[in-house]
Amino acid sequence: MMKLLKKELRLAASPVTYLFIVFGMTALIPGYPILIGSFFLGLGLFQSFQTAREANDLTYTALLPVAKTDAVRAKYLFCGFIQLCYLLLTSAVTLIRMTALSGAKVYINNPMMNANLVYLGFVMLSLGLFQSVFVGGFFKTGYSLARPFLRFIILSFLTVGLGETLFHLPGMSALNSPGFSNIGLQLAALLLGAISYFALTAVSVQRSLRSFERIDL
Amino acid sequence: MSQPLCEVKMLKKAYPSFMLSDVSFSLRPGRITGFIGRNGAGKTTTIKSMLGLVHPDGGEISYFGTPLSGNEKKIKQRLGYSTGAVNYYPKKRIREIVAVTRPFFDSWDEDSYKEYRTLFSIDESKLPSELSYGMRVKLNLLLALSHRAEILILDEPTSSLDPFSRDELLDIFTELKDRGVSILFSTHITSDIEKCADDILYIKKGRLAADCTKEDFVKKYCNAGESIEQAILRLERGNDR
Repeated sequence: MMKLLKKELRLAASPVTYLFIVFGMTALIPGYPILIGSFFLGLGLFQSFQTAREANDLTYTALLPVAKTDAVRAKYLFCGFIQLCYLLLTSAVTLIRMTALSGAKVYINNPMMNANLVYLGFVMLSLGLFQSVFVGGFFKTGYSLARPFLRFIILSFLTVGLGETLFHLPGMSALNSPGFSNIGLQLAALLLGAISYFALTAVSVQRSLRSFERIDL
Repeated sequence: MSQPLCEVKMLKKAYPSFMLSDVSFSLRPGRITGFIGRNGAGKTTTIKSMLGLVHPDGGEISYFGTPLSGNEKKIKQRLGYSTGAVNYYPKKRIREIVAVTRPFFDSWDEDSYKEYRTLFSIDESKLPSELSYGMRVKLNLLLALSHRAEILILDEPTSSLDPFSRDELLDIFTELKDRGVSILFSTHITSDIEKCADDILYIKKGRLAADCTKEDFVKKYCNAGESIEQAILRLERGNDR
């Protein structure tokens, strides 16, 4: 599987995808809906799917001594790898905001979502939705990108909306705690996000393996 | 008679406007099989089914005595497959494509790769998009030949090649045959079959109309003085004799 990941990174991926990992740093922008960064990562990955489709990536993969369904696993692995890079970057930025920058003036009166563990939970939910809605949708046909991506855009913006609204509701303000305050709640939200990510990805992989096996290339 | 390297039994595939019906044949070592039929007769569907790219509705496909289903990885190590010209990664350097491809094959032979690369005059620093159609066919063949494939399955490898390149390619087929490689190539150019095929598979409207040696085909289907091309044209028009 590592050979296929290498193939994805060296041949199939669009350079734009790597560039879009930098959107993990949006967590540093004050007064900005920082969750949008994970939507942009989805946009970057979408570019790779488009590039791969135009470069007949699936035809090439079919020539290799791999099972047809390995092409599916390789795409999920590639997305997971890029998402991991993004998550590591945005986690590092979040930790900086939670520690060294927790008293910075620009973040104290932030009306938008703070970069904390709840934010990271929402990031994982958004990344999981990409795997489920976009990648899963793509493997229903093996060529159609527009509809799955449109669905992802809608759900991704709803997630941003939910993240930005939730802590404004009565009794929910603790979700936007700065630094390490209400850390128990923050950890619970992060755990929930992580569970959503792995559950959405696992279900999507299984569904894609089944549907791609039925597709005639 | 030697054991077949590949066996296709009662292959079926239905599309809304086309049906592949009960296609059965086998490929033997050191034989060149020409797979002929007009456009849309079912050649590509048969070949894609043989590679697991198309899901057949029925039938069995096996290589080296092992069913393809469930053994794809192992079998594809010993197969070479090419669909005409390289149409993938047009903007990646050939060197890069080869570097990624090489580790997938256990039996990749760097000497063969260099030998065929020189023979085909392929410049590794070029992009596939910079190559002519004929050169992209050769690039696909180069990748297929570099891992010592025992069976080569080639979908219309000679279409769109100039007569010189076609002749060169057919000579390579003959050389590979002498090394024990079994080749199945689909074509609608009957002169290619006349030049190098040992066996002929003739498919018509999704059914295998002939599966025999070239000599038997000539005996059975060609009228006196008639070439294979003339016989096939007549058969396509529905005149058996």
